[in-house]
Amino acid sequence: MRNVTLKHGKDCKRFRVSTENDWGELAEYVAGKLKPGSIVAISGELGAGKTTFVKALVTALGNRRSVVSPTFALMRSYKIAKRGNLKRLLHLDAYRIEHEHELLALDLDEELGDGHTALVIEWPENISKWVKKQVGVTAVIIK
Amino acid sequence: MTVARKRKSIVNRGSFRVLGIETSCDETSVAILKISKNSVEILHHEIASQIPVHEIYGGVVPEVAARLHVKETVELLDRAMATHYSLLTTHLPFDVIAVAQGPGLATALRVGIDAARTLAFALEKPIVGVNHLEGHLASAWLVSENRKHWKFPILFLLVSGGHTELVLMKDFCSYRVIGRTRDDAAGEAFDKTGKLIGLSYPAGPQIAKLAENGNPRAFDIPRPMINDPSFDFSFSGLKSAVRRLWEKMPQVVRAKKKTRVDLCASIQEAIVDVLVAKTIAAARKHRPQQLAIVGGVSANHHLQERLRQAVKKELRGVSLLKAARGLHTDNAAMIAAAGAWHFRRGERHDWRKIDAQPEWDL
Repeated sequence: MRNVTLKHGKDCKRFRVSTENDWGELAEYVAGKLKPGSIVAISGELGAGKTTFVKALVTALGNRRSVVSPTFALMRSYKIAKRGNLKRLLHLDAYRIEHEHELLALDLDEELGDGHTALVIEWPENISKWVKKQVGVTAVIIK
Repeated sequence: MTVARKRKSIVNRGSFRVLGIETSCDETSVAILKISKNSVEILHHEIASQIPVHEIYGGVVPEVAARLHVKETVELLDRAMATHYSLLTTHLPFDVIAVAQGPGLATALRVGIDAARTLAFALEKPIVGVNHLEGHLASAWLVSENRKHWKFPILFLLVSGGHTELVLMKDFCSYRVIGRTRDDAAGEAFDKTGKLIGLSYPAGPQIAKLAENGNPRAFDIPRPMINDPSFDFSFSGLKSAVRRLWEKMPQVVRAKKKTRVDLCASIQEAIVDVLVAKTIAAARKHRPQQLAIVGGVSANHHLQERLRQAVKKELRGVSLLKAARGLHTDNAAMIAAAGAWHFRRGERHDWRKIDAQPEWDL
């Protein structure tokens, strides 16, 4: 059983999630709000279910590829079809990022600015300065 | 002379030299291999994280930065050339360039690829793009003893921080992934459970060290998917289980050295159990001639030993091949070796078109 809080601007919603189905429904809800340039920042302890949520989100967006943890690779990309301009979801894991300037290597601003890309971030706390500068961030807090 | 005719003449000469470049993730590496009919020789090999970086950069080295890759790639290439360039013959020390093309970080991969294509253009040398995972498989081929036993099909267990895959190699350059992780990689399971119990990242080697003195049956850690008929892995649940176990533990128990070594031994046993069981099950079904373990986690002695015993007991006539010493983790020698496999078959890429393939599967 997890308590999940969604925050977007002043909006704040709470969900209780226990089954895979619940994750799916929550993901459908978040997926419905994604646009190019959107950022979803997922916080939670090790093993809280962050990657599980991203799995559900990628499925909700119609991509059947299995989502694996990007901790080592830092970032993975998933193609999205039939969502208008949204063609790609980037999955970034900031777990191993120690200094924010390491983000430079990822060209995130450029990737996000291409008009087709949304981004989900695990461990956004590690790059909080960058995240604070962005607009349209949805925070997902898993407890 | 066209590049194609040049290649033919190189191969006919009986031996050729491959310059390998690897920049797919954190490591920057450059190597030169000499491939002859009956031998493979590493003429030059350097991994940037092994040189005294602190002296060069005067402090902490950021783990990831394409800019560092640029600096390091140039320095490593420069040193490789300077060491092996013969003024007497003015011969370049390589005949073909092999570069890791993916999977990996696009920006990091492009550093190596751009260096490779620049060299290919300026020096009129052929270029071969290599799958980084194929490179890991080739790290076993760099052991001369292994090459004597190199009979297809070979079943590979590729285990590292970012990958956990069972790959059936049917011939050079012909692969089938028959199992893979559905969430976390095995190396990641080591690192993250280690972090949970207070070890510093990357915790894998520390867990292995502490586990030596622990009781592997002290804690009940799940073996996810061990009885699942597929050859896929899952380590995310194991991580959560360790978290729950640790959270329930009173502070006094956590602080005991014995708790920690027992927990490390139990975690390692659980991960190794799954890896060994799946590998043996896959081998029973696909009947490979040889079994090989490669990737960073394959340096784990307990895994090596358990797999060796299992192979001896369960798979008659199959021997266990391991990666060359020091070549378990990312390196350019393995990229050069895999590049040589492709080059021998006449494959090459157009330097104008070669680009990073961050999501490339085997």
